[in-house]
Amino acid sequence: MQNKLVIVFFLFSALVFSQETEVVKDTTVTFKKRVLESTEVDFMLSYYNQDGVHSSVSGGIGSEKLTDIASNIVVAIPMNDDDILTIDAGISAYTSASSSNINPYDSKNPTPWQSSSGASEQDALVSLVANYSHSSDDRNFIWNADVSFSNEYDYTSIGFGGGISKLFNDKNSEVSVKVNAYLDQWRPIYPGELRNGNFSSYNPLFSPNFVAWDSTARNSYSASISFSQVLTKKTQFSIFFDLVQQDGKLSTPYHRIYFADKPDYYVGNLSFVPNYENSSNAGVYRLADAIEKLPSSRFKLPIGLRWNYYINETFVVRTYYRYYTDNWDITAHTASIEVPIKLTDKFTVSPMYRYYTQTQSKYFAPFEKHLSTEEFYTSDYDLSSFNANQYGLGVSYTDIFTSSKIWKFGLKNIDFRFNHYDRSDGLSSNIASLGFKFVMQ
Amino acid sequence: MIKEKYIHQKELIFKNINLNQIIMVKKIALMVVFVFVLQSCNTVKQYEKAKVNSTEMKLSAKSTERYETAFQVYREAAAGANGGKSGGGCGCN
Repeated sequence: MQNKLVIVFFLFSALVFSQETEVVKDTTVTFKKRVLESTEVDFMLSYYNQDGVHSSVSGGIGSEKLTDIASNIVVAIPMNDDDILTIDAGISAYTSASSSNINPYDSKNPTPWQSSSGASEQDALVSLVANYSHSSDDRNFIWNADVSFSNEYDYTSIGFGGGISKLFNDKNSEVSVKVNAYLDQWRPIYPGELRNGNFSSYNPLFSPNFVAWDSTARNSYSASISFSQVLTKKTQFSIFFDLVQQDGKLSTPYHRIYFADKPDYYVGNLSFVPNYENSSNAGVYRLADAIEKLPSSRFKLPIGLRWNYYINETFVVRTYYRYYTDNWDITAHTASIEVPIKLTDKFTVSPMYRYYTQTQSKYFAPFEKHLSTEEFYTSDYDLSSFNANQYGLGVSYTDIFTSSKIWKFGLKNIDFRFNHYDRSDGLSSNIASLGFKFVMQ
Repeated sequence: MIKEKYIHQKELIFKNINLNQIIMVKKIALMVVFVFVLQSCNTVKQYEKAKVNSTEMKLSAKSTERYETAFQVYREAAAGANGGKSGGGCGCN
């Protein structure tokens, strides 16, 4: 594997240096245009809902109903001719049936198939990213640095990173290198029956395999290399190559596990036990045997390719493919296509389709299929084998003259997208997003 | 005669090189060809880039696409290689 990487880097370097000779010719800069003419503001909103039958909070069965509303405001400010400061602030609020069942026992009829009134039913995520970038006088070299922060009730993430980009060959080729580190911290919330250690209060024989976490950190380090090339007047492509290393607590503390070789204990109306694994269970919940346990290290290797082709003034084809592999035995392929169709000078509609497929992690097994003797276990269906189809439509309005104004800002663009997503394990979702771009006059 | 000689040489090669190495060599050959193809691209001048510089031709995800990427990162095991964030946050709901 290492040999392959060395070869890839060697060829990559050969390409870069072969283009270097062209750089000498690219010295015909006659004036210095500002990188960003004036302050731009993006205001974005999204609505997401999903439903499914494999809740990882309930050990791989149960409702996955979830609704999320998110919004972001992104302000890009030109600091001078060469520098841009970008601030991205976001908030996201969700309600989740699955999360509500972290502690379902405050309900008279606890069941994995319905939302309980647990405090964890809803949460909000706030995030802030600041990015500073500088372009050289000839605009052929750009560096940037960023810091980020996000927080929700049980999780905080602090990130920082930076990157450089070099343009060659009369700006037809671009190489970028980016590194990032995220230092995350859990404030673990365990399933209700495991929290206080008084297991016998549920059943005198109940003795789960549970030990509270002794560490709560999760760190992610990533290095990304990308190369883009204008091939012809109508074609361009880019290749993305990421190396991601994660360390620390990669499990989720409230994902229950039910072992095949452990006795079953229930809370609620025992007449529903025969129907426990289907939605007709209206009032019984099974006590967890353990919580999810995953290795403390994961290495991810995704490689992506974008290829865009301008057919004519009406049609453009945007394509994307990604191959992904990691050391948890997951291999995935993603392919998507979008065809923007320009209806008028201002309106564009974009039908889109995306296909995704993945193999399951070696640590995954469905509800009640793990054995207590295993070292690692999860019943999170996001790590199972499945394929998914996503299809949707985008509508875009663009007014380059910004004739509509709000205070000092002219409206440049409105972008709306709607997508439906179907996963082969029964999860389906819808997402709608809306974005406005304003330019300061 | 020439065909027999070719088959004999091919057999000798296959005795000394295992399948993985052959696949590896093919991959490298493909990459070398790829690199040469890139180098042979005609330079497109700035004044000829009206089409590739159009909004829809951008080689990055659209700004509103970030929400789709976010839920895909939550609901799928694969992430990254799309020019976006590849770490941070639990993605666990």
